[in-house]
Amino acid sequence: MATKPDSIYRAFDRKASAIVEFTLRQYRTKTSTWVVLGVGFTALALIFLIYIDVMSSEFESIDNDGDSTDYDLDGYPKGQELRLGTDPWDIDSHPGLFDPPIEPDPISMYINEDGFDWDITSELGSQTTGIDNDGDCLDSNKTDSQKDTNNNGVPCDIIVDFFRSSDGRIYSNIHADSGVDEDPDEDAYSREAIHMAFVLSIGKLGFVLLLGIFLPLFMATGLIRDEMSSGTMHFMLAKPIARSEVFLYRTLGYLGIVWPYVIVLGILGALISGFAGSGDAFFRFADLGVWLAIIFATMMATLVYGMLFNALGVLWKYGIILAIPFAAWELGMALLSMGAPDAMLLRFSVIGWAMMIVDAAAMIVWPNLDLFIVMGNWGGGGGGSGWNGQSLEGSGPLNFFSSKPGLGLSAFTAMIVATLVMLFQAAILWFIGGAIFKGKEIQ
Amino acid sequence: MIPDFDQQGKAQTKQWVPEVTAPAILLENVSKSYGRIFALSNITLALNGGVTGVLGMNGAGKSTLFNLLMGKLKPSQGSIKLFGTDPWKNPAPYARVGFVPEHEKMYDWMTGHGFVSTFARLNGLTRDEASVEANRVLEFVGLTDVAYKKIGQYSKGMRQRAKIAHALVNDPELIILDEPLQGCDPLARTTIMNLIRELGRMGRTVLVSSHILQEIERITEQIVILHQGQLLALGNLHSIRERLDQIPHRISIQAENPKELAKDVIDIDEVYGVSFPDGKNISIQTHNLGAIHSQLPRIIVDNNHKVSTIDNPDDDLASILGYLTSGGRM
Repeated sequence: MATKPDSIYRAFDRKASAIVEFTLRQYRTKTSTWVVLGVGFTALALIFLIYIDVMSSEFESIDNDGDSTDYDLDGYPKGQELRLGTDPWDIDSHPGLFDPPIEPDPISMYINEDGFDWDITSELGSQTTGIDNDGDCLDSNKTDSQKDTNNNGVPCDIIVDFFRSSDGRIYSNIHADSGVDEDPDEDAYSREAIHMAFVLSIGKLGFVLLLGIFLPLFMATGLIRDEMSSGTMHFMLAKPIARSEVFLYRTLGYLGIVWPYVIVLGILGALISGFAGSGDAFFRFADLGVWLAIIFATMMATLVYGMLFNALGVLWKYGIILAIPFAAWELGMALLSMGAPDAMLLRFSVIGWAMMIVDAAAMIVWPNLDLFIVMGNWGGGGGGSGWNGQSLEGSGPLNFFSSKPGLGLSAFTAMIVATLVMLFQAAILWFIGGAIFKGKEIQ
Repeated sequence: MIPDFDQQGKAQTKQWVPEVTAPAILLENVSKSYGRIFALSNITLALNGGVTGVLGMNGAGKSTLFNLLMGKLKPSQGSIKLFGTDPWKNPAPYARVGFVPEHEKMYDWMTGHGFVSTFARLNGLTRDEASVEANRVLEFVGLTDVAYKKIGQYSKGMRQRAKIAHALVNDPELIILDEPLQGCDPLARTTIMNLIRELGRMGRTVLVSSHILQEIERITEQIVILHQGQLLALGNLHSIRERLDQIPHRISIQAENPKELAKDVIDIDEVYGVSFPDGKNISIQTHNLGAIHSQLPRIIVDNNHKVSTIDNPDDDLASILGYLTSGGRM
């Protein structure tokens, strides 16, 4: 006869590995497993194709301040005429009449010629920044008060005011002198903004929400239930093993296939967006931090939902129907987490905490994310004094998909708190699921 | 230890020495009801050692009884103890119990060896120990040759034996088999019956259910009869049989020339009536089944009758149940 287990822990270990191994092999034989994993892969692949398409296209450059236009049809753009002191509105006044005559500048010189030169960080308080690259503010014809329309005593600068609102969040106001940083490079900004928005959106919606809910919905609901229905649960329960153990080990077996899957998809996503993403670097190494958080948050979500849906399956033969309201609720919470990351309701969801992990990582990896959004929303102020013109493409989506981690915590603390909360949720659901299973009569 | 089939074809296995005094199975006033329907009512039963057949028609409560013993169901009333422990609350006694469920469904994608060894690990065995143990029990049930074939390719009898192997892991003291012969061909039946008898000889407590009297009869004499959720009888099959022989019986014979046969048969003293239900059959009424069975063959042979079947429709569970429920006493 075989020797008895050395200790109770060794025995747990052996039972756990047996059931985990069994569960993994069982998944492998089921068509549904491959369908679910294949559909998940295909859906994400399609989204990545769209992303690659967007990243490889050119964003139209806009002359935000209108100085590339030849208003008086003398062949010279407004910016060149202003710089050389001729009248941009008079066809008989242009640098071609100089001695020697000056050739017209190419129009492209006056597009995106005054980009963002911001060297500040998003800290509380009033900061001044910006350089007038094209000289339309530092124009010697302008008076001192014309150069200092924001009245801070510094000619041709931008004041950025960061302040904490009564809701505890940080907002900003921008007061720019007319003609400073008014013609930014749309392509550079939008490419970067859309890249970041994409990483956050596919991370939050594609990974955390879709994979996080649908993998467990289709793969965990039947972990116990299918065995109960087919009668094969008798083989397992005829052995000296507690039902809550079976519940836990089956869930671990499910994680054994779902976690590697999430990790592989996450790595693929990181590679694709790292190589195809914006910027001059060959590979965007910094983004790996965000991807790591996305993978981790998805793993945590699949853990908690796995426990939940497994328990629902034990509770009722059609547990998947019980799971759908949960999925709907979590979809709502996912959207809420983007609009109002501080909402109290989010604390009663799983997805809210998972999103917190992604947001916290984004905050660490991209420390000036807020400033970047503020900058894009301002968009050069529409090129002139007074009216706030159009924001740059990409700042809207980025603003929507990024949010500060809730609870007013620092990024690291938020990550740890969210992780602990989700582990706690998983433990509670294990306890509940095990208890339901234990009280269940099996025919 | 490992059975040694070379020694006169008999498995040599260690003698079981009971560790505790609690009986393997102890039920006290156990009832199980679903709403107002009683699946089992007021069963009191203690079993320890030997092979016991649980007889009952479909729906008599055999599976309910076994599921209660296996902790799958919670008794509505009364207490169940396996080796002194309530199985609904504590799965520990299953270290000493093997269970062969009635359900047909198995893991067709697993090999016999994989199936047995995987679940053996739930007894706390390591992977290697479980593999050795699986080989041992698969040899005991005679599946060594197909141990590494998929269960999906097994015949019905092999599947049943794989289930028995699964139950025999870790050398249990109590083995519960729910309808192990159902759907098996005659050869597989014989093999499985021999296995069960062998387990009894090895000193295990074996509980085996069936709705066919002849099957149980070939395995054991100690029986429990369940009928409509009630414990109808508990004891030796022989004593029941002897009493049965004293009540009216019918024997139905299909012969080429029924009238001629009837003339010869009526001469037997114990026959008190002959009838012709149709052109081909005769039906004999008797009080003494044994006497008829001893004389009938000689009459048929001596008079050169052409007989195709001899049927004894009353010699089954239904007639025993009829006798017991109509006021018969054991």
